[in-house]
Amino acid sequence: MADASIEFKGSSFTLSVLHLRTSKLADIRADLVTKIAQAPDFFYLVPLVVNIEQLACSVDYQAVKTLIEEFNFTFVGFTGSVEKEQRKLIRELGFSFVNTAKVNTSQKVDATEENVATETKKIADTPQSHLYTDKVHRGQIRSGQQIYAKDQNLVVIGSVSAGAEVIADGNIHIYGSLRGRAIAGAKGHHKAQIYCQNLEAELVSINGNYWLSESMEQHWGVPVYIHLTDSELTSSKLI
Amino acid sequence: MARIIVVTSGKGGVGKTTSSAAIGLGLALKGHKVVLIDFDIGLRNLDLIMGCERRVVYDFVNVINGEATLNQALIKDKRVKSLSILPASQTRDKDALNKENVGKVLEELGEMYDFIVCDSPAGIEAGAMMALYYADEAIVTTNPEVSSVRDSDRILGMLASRSRRAELGLEPIKEHLLLTRYSPKRVAEGEMLSVEDVEDILSIPLLGVIPESQAVLKASNAGEPVILDTESDAGKAYQDVIERLLGETVEFRFLTVEKKSILSRLFGG
Repeated sequence: MADASIEFKGSSFTLSVLHLRTSKLADIRADLVTKIAQAPDFFYLVPLVVNIEQLACSVDYQAVKTLIEEFNFTFVGFTGSVEKEQRKLIRELGFSFVNTAKVNTSQKVDATEENVATETKKIADTPQSHLYTDKVHRGQIRSGQQIYAKDQNLVVIGSVSAGAEVIADGNIHIYGSLRGRAIAGAKGHHKAQIYCQNLEAELVSINGNYWLSESMEQHWGVPVYIHLTDSELTSSKLI
Repeated sequence: MARIIVVTSGKGGVGKTTSSAAIGLGLALKGHKVVLIDFDIGLRNLDLIMGCERRVVYDFVNVINGEATLNQALIKDKRVKSLSILPASQTRDKDALNKENVGKVLEELGEMYDFIVCDSPAGIEAGAMMALYYADEAIVTTNPEVSSVRDSDRILGMLASRSRRAELGLEPIKEHLLLTRYSPKRVAEGEMLSVEDVEDILSIPLLGVIPESQAVLKASNAGEPVILDTESDAGKAYQDVIERLLGETVEFRFLTVEKKSILSRLFGG
């Protein structure tokens, strides 16, 4: 089936989620008006998932869909940890029910906004890269040494020796040779990248996908950056 | 204050003791007051290389335990007056040393000598850590082969993190690379790492390159440090090392394959 015209594949996306705290449509509408007024362009045609797990009683699902489409959102489906029967009911009404990844189900509502009945939340691939600060290491990282940039990017001004290990939850930049191991996006971050001025690594890994030396032949000994494209490691020349 | 120099490597058999002996004697020949300490407790070798094995009465561990004074344990070299040797104990193990007492001994020696050269045991355990702990400078002895380079890299990491200077946040230990058993011929044939390769991996300043030489084994067995063999390439290379340690700029020798002269080819020399 190599020449099939279509192919199904799983991918992760960042979606906005609307958490409902009341089933009173009038209250929801009022708060939506206030929220959207703050940034009308930002919400235009944004795909939206509606989370219903904080609702004490059931809600008119069709009315919720109509309501949010009225505000120019693209309705995706409902989500939340709810009873099986309720999930079944939602499906029978013709709506899709979206399961969240485990990491995000425990996210609690921000306490400072408790009076607001609705709130938009993003399910990002945690943690978000643009929030990372840099951990800078000056000097060579020697065999047997291990450096971990927790919730940070790692910048090494020097080489990483064979038998050394550098790990970051964000990106790794090496201004020198990479001869040891480099593990970026250690907590699960598929956009993490590894940059080095000379690739002679024992192992590189991004978000759990790894290469041993033998997979790096194409760009061995040259300045490269390594990234993920569709969950496949890719190396590209820097210069 | 004396300069405390540790001769270390991580890997065994690369030439630490040979180099310690040559460097200690070479500095003393230049008129400096030098003490050589054997930190390889339980595997005493330095006294053999220095040719003073029959004169060992007390050793480093005796001094540490207060069973002998420094002056009782120090052996004066017969060739050069300004050189002394503090031998290791052959009957004890490396746990016999402790940081505090080693520190006291080094402090006392520091007032008597210009250079303290510490011959480290192989490995990265307590004995090697003790030898490098108080060092101001380190001579990282490396053979031009991958496992030795890897181990030297490991030791460089230790120098930067486990030494007294690192713990107190002082200026880091000054690192020197000493490449031993170097054979330009085998480098040219691609069997051995070149000076450039090793420098690239370790990225520390090069102190010297000692060519592979028959003279080294001969010197060890005779108890005459190879630096005394002024005719040999190895002896000459160690003399260059001494000049560089004392701040002179000396060009590196014995890095390329020597071309045989027509005469020696004719006579099969």
